[in-house]
Amino acid sequence: MNDRIKVILSLLFAVVAGTAAAASPALASLTKLTVEPAQVALVNADQLVQLLVTAQYSDGTQRDVTRTAAYTVTAPKSTGKAPAPASITTGRVVPQADGTTSVQITFKDLVSKQSAAATVPVQVTGFTVERRLNYANDILPILTKASCNSGGCHGKQGGQNGFALSLLGFDPDFDYNALTREGHGRRITLTAPDQSLLLTKAAGVFPHGGGAKLDLGSDSYQLLRRWIVQGTPKGRTNDPVVQAIEVIPRERILIGTKEQQVRVVARYSDGSTADVTRAAEYKSQQPDILIVEHDGLIRTLDRTGEGAVMVRYMGLVDVTRITVPYSRNLPESAYANFKPKTYVDELVMTKWRKLGIAPSELCTDAEFIRRASLDAIGTLPTAEEVRTFLADKAPDKRDRLVTALLDRKEYADYWAGIWGDVLRNKRRNGEEHKRGTFAFAAWIQDSMAQNKPYDQFVREILTAQGNVSDNPTVVWYREVRNTVHQVNDTAQLFLGTRVSCANCHNHPYEKMTQDDYWGMAAFFSRLGVKQGEVSSENAIFVRKDGETRQPRTGKTMKPKGLGGPAYDQVRGEDPRAKLADWMAEPTNPYFSRALVNRIWAHYLGVGLVEGVDDMRLTNPPSNPALLDALAKDFVAHKFDLKQLMRTIMTSQVYGLSATPNSDNHTDKQNYARYFPRRLPAQALLDAVDTVTGSTEKYAGFPLGTRAIELPDEFVPSYFLDVFGRSKRETACECERSYAPNLAQSLHLMNSPEIQSKISDAKGNAAKLAESKRPNAEIMAELYLRAFSRPPSEDELAESVKRLAATTDRRAFLEDFTWMLVNSKEFVFNH
Amino acid sequence: MTIDVTSGTYGTCDGRSRRSFLKLGALAFGGLTLAQQLQIEAQAAASGKATKDLSVILLWQGGGPSHIDMWDMKPSAPAEFRGSFNPIKTVIPGYYVCEHMPRIAQMVDKISIVRSVTHPDSGHESASHTLLTGYKPTNDIPSNEVPSYGSIVSYEMGPRVEGFPAYACVPRAPKSTAAAYLGVAYNPFETQGDPSSTDFQVRNLKLPNGLTLARLEQRRDLMKTFDTLRRDVDASGLISGMDAFSQKAFELATSPKVQAAFDISRESSSVRDRYGRNTMGQSALLARRLVEAGVRFVTVDTGGWDTHTNNFENLKRKKLPHFDACFASLIEDLDQRGMLEKTLVLVWGEFGRTPRINKDAGRDHWSTAMTAVMAGGGIKRGVVLGETDARAEFPKERPVSPQDILSTMYGQLGLDQDKSYKNEADRPVAILNNGVPIPEII
Repeated sequence: MNDRIKVILSLLFAVVAGTAAAASPALASLTKLTVEPAQVALVNADQLVQLLVTAQYSDGTQRDVTRTAAYTVTAPKSTGKAPAPASITTGRVVPQADGTTSVQITFKDLVSKQSAAATVPVQVTGFTVERRLNYANDILPILTKASCNSGGCHGKQGGQNGFALSLLGFDPDFDYNALTREGHGRRITLTAPDQSLLLTKAAGVFPHGGGAKLDLGSDSYQLLRRWIVQGTPKGRTNDPVVQAIEVIPRERILIGTKEQQVRVVARYSDGSTADVTRAAEYKSQQPDILIVEHDGLIRTLDRTGEGAVMVRYMGLVDVTRITVPYSRNLPESAYANFKPKTYVDELVMTKWRKLGIAPSELCTDAEFIRRASLDAIGTLPTAEEVRTFLADKAPDKRDRLVTALLDRKEYADYWAGIWGDVLRNKRRNGEEHKRGTFAFAAWIQDSMAQNKPYDQFVREILTAQGNVSDNPTVVWYREVRNTVHQVNDTAQLFLGTRVSCANCHNHPYEKMTQDDYWGMAAFFSRLGVKQGEVSSENAIFVRKDGETRQPRTGKTMKPKGLGGPAYDQVRGEDPRAKLADWMAEPTNPYFSRALVNRIWAHYLGVGLVEGVDDMRLTNPPSNPALLDALAKDFVAHKFDLKQLMRTIMTSQVYGLSATPNSDNHTDKQNYARYFPRRLPAQALLDAVDTVTGSTEKYAGFPLGTRAIELPDEFVPSYFLDVFGRSKRETACECERSYAPNLAQSLHLMNSPEIQSKISDAKGNAAKLAESKRPNAEIMAELYLRAFSRPPSEDELAESVKRLAATTDRRAFLEDFTWMLVNSKEFVFNH
Repeated sequence: MTIDVTSGTYGTCDGRSRRSFLKLGALAFGGLTLAQQLQIEAQAAASGKATKDLSVILLWQGGGPSHIDMWDMKPSAPAEFRGSFNPIKTVIPGYYVCEHMPRIAQMVDKISIVRSVTHPDSGHESASHTLLTGYKPTNDIPSNEVPSYGSIVSYEMGPRVEGFPAYACVPRAPKSTAAAYLGVAYNPFETQGDPSSTDFQVRNLKLPNGLTLARLEQRRDLMKTFDTLRRDVDASGLISGMDAFSQKAFELATSPKVQAAFDISRESSSVRDRYGRNTMGQSALLARRLVEAGVRFVTVDTGGWDTHTNNFENLKRKKLPHFDACFASLIEDLDQRGMLEKTLVLVWGEFGRTPRINKDAGRDHWSTAMTAVMAGGGIKRGVVLGETDARAEFPKERPVSPQDILSTMYGQLGLDQDKSYKNEADRPVAILNNGVPIPEII
């Protein structure tokens, strides 16, 4: 986060905190009108400037009034009927003639009846000069805005109907050639510009598969036409090139209004700037909260929350964040029961205040032990563990439980499976891969058990060489077998970002170029694969030399992490070691954030960045301060995974109830309550075994092996498949599926497998039916096993009544067990 | 699928499962409330999409069937090409098929045969991906980078009769028949088991041993009383979704209509004999039952066509007699029941086989010439399109791409192949990005 945003943020927090305490914000008075930019200088006839008019209130709040303010342009004194130098509509200043003038802006607050005014001087020069157009700066943005070069049209690979453009114009030279030279220049008719296919197709005069994209006579049409009239100039080599774009404002809380105009400014290589509000493209990242129009006007729908709007111009992206607070007037008492314990709690609560939401109660101890056990070790607590925990009266018992869980063997088993998924430790179907797969799985399990520092864990994988028996991590390179996989997996898995777009073209949603991609690829340029000690296995070696070329430009790339330093290739050195060094730098902006976000998402159900491996500028974190703080803490603790998990799990936020209240029921991303999730496939199958008292048999493993202990995806299990275990085909966290589906319900409800577990003669229902224990104890036992809680009084009374009334106790207990494993309370972690 | 339907972010595949779940759409194997279904139907009617009520049966010949030994005989080719089979006359004058397909020879006037299908990929997995999705994969070991057409059709059209799955595979789903980014709800429902075995049962559809209908109902009653977790603890809709699926599962397990459709033993033994008492034949018969009852898209996995060794023995003893009975019966049966015009049947594998016989009396992978067969659903009857050269190695006239075949299928179904879905990277991917319908067969 840059300093400017920090200032804005702290101001915003101050404002919100102030209003929460204030008696009534309705009394806030209009103090002044501010305008951005403060003055306008237009240097040619094509320039426009979007004004942003903001009403400032005494309580510190701001309101965009660009569309509701009144504008008047002072006519020049000396000229009789000549037009004023500029006109203005919806805050957009349009030049009309050379000269100087000013725009008077007034705004009246309809509620308070207060008014405010401001004046903006305007200077227009060069209006009558026909300037020499530049393809990249003037024409390309029109094609992009009209979606000509989008992935669904001519920008897709191979183009559309024989006309191909580079995706979103990342390769202007290619596009210029396609427009002006290809097909014997048939797309442009210099002698009769209006007959050019470029115009007739785009305007829908000739049949066009994409329909009419430009209005005849629109400014964009006129500009294209002028470009043709000028002889389709490509531009001079020293013409300025756009280098950065900025959206204004970067962040805004919408109070008292449902809309926000934005303004986009491009900065060029010669130091000049231009307003590109109208030429930029906009995309709402949360269309259920925000919509955005072509001219940069953002509107909120009737839902509260936060959204981001992506702005893109000439392959550059920026983003503005809009907050629609839930309530402005939450009394301080809404937070009274929440006692922040750690920085995590403080930062999450800051965000709640900003949004006007308040947390649920803390969850019960029974809920906590179930949740913490499932999340940390993928295992239901036993009835005995629950009883002991509930009986413990010490105030620090939750913290002690967390520490104890992280030290259990199941912790290493469970997390070895989670890492095995994204590390794609996969046997496929070959027995010949069994040895390597098992060795790699054991290495991961051991790394988890000894709590190996995460940077070292990653380094040992990335820099693997030798044979499986020397070094099981070479198995990673079995699936991640070529440069493209190596770059994609490294970025997605360890840097939390998806780069595959940039293999072939610049990334459409991130400041990432094809050069960045192939700079990453260069780290793997000396990787060699040869047959290993066993014929079916590979060994990894490092060549003394080896380079990588960018495929489009043919340029030799130096190894370079995203935004990191470029390393020189030294003969005999393994560039992969440099990659691991770069990742472990405390200043690396990706590595630690990606990891803390991944772990946070595991425990809280929703990532600070959603899509835990899709972090990018245009997909900003919901709580940047928290993400930064967690990452910093993680680095400070030398990449200690268990310490990170302890920090998260011992926060009050993690211990909140899942039950919503009226102040947070719309919250989906700010942790005002626990977000439930279905148990992962392996944990669920183990839990079914626990509740039914039966034991699943896995082919090739000793009886008693649990699902969370399985080393790979190959062990046959319909249950695990249907409940969405990862196939380990990609490095994406998303391959593990938590979505319910019909086959799952059918299997739990009606399968011979589950039925035989429930009715197992040595199973739990049979044992309890034969036992001499009192009915109340039997029912309590079942509740403790499945739901990790004692039954409520009503539940106990009703279930005991039914048990007492039945003629077939075992059948009833089987049916009750069936109900337990089919219930939502069981299947979900809550 | 629509990516931008919930908050959080767009284009993330982590959110995908949740979103695709929320947008229940034409959920494979049901799962909609009546209200949702009605709403979707109303929307479909309003947007005028896919109003043709066709079903599809795909007979997938995984491994690659030998075109030169089946549909594209070359009796004048040198011995090392033509092989040991003789051509026989068919009901289409001048058109011959293999002597081991005698029943098919008598019904080719009901189908269209495209002998000039060609594509450049002779690897099993990648070619299967191309032929089952329309897209050549970019990954070297593909696994549904894009949705299979079975998933797309079920997503767009839903089951033909509410309460049935939209998309089923009999008995198992071959690779590349899944839904990719359309979401797990559009994966095929696999019957599993072997429909030709006497104790064949569809997985988890029949009450397991030891359970009666009355007892299942008692269990449901317990659930209503004791499963009290509040649905509103979950804003993502997953918990209420599980309720909906569980309700649906209960209905399926107890629905006589569904039970009957999957119960192949209800067919007379003469019908079962006619299809052939083997996996391929009985699977095709089950496919016909399912389509008749209301399933939209059924893929029959007839695999085992990868005849690198002993091509002629394998084909003669097993594959061709089975296929002859299965395919001829299926088309005749559909036709007699008046279902052929409402059911599009597609028969192909990922490629043909090398016309030159190898040293093991086998044929290897050959993608530049292969045959696709289509029937029903408005496909012309009795057309033999395209021709290969004298050795059945390359198309001689009217080369047809696999995408042209799929474009023809989508066109017949009334689906717009230019419609696109956002993939995991938020990139719009069209249902099909090239291929045009084949006018000669429609």
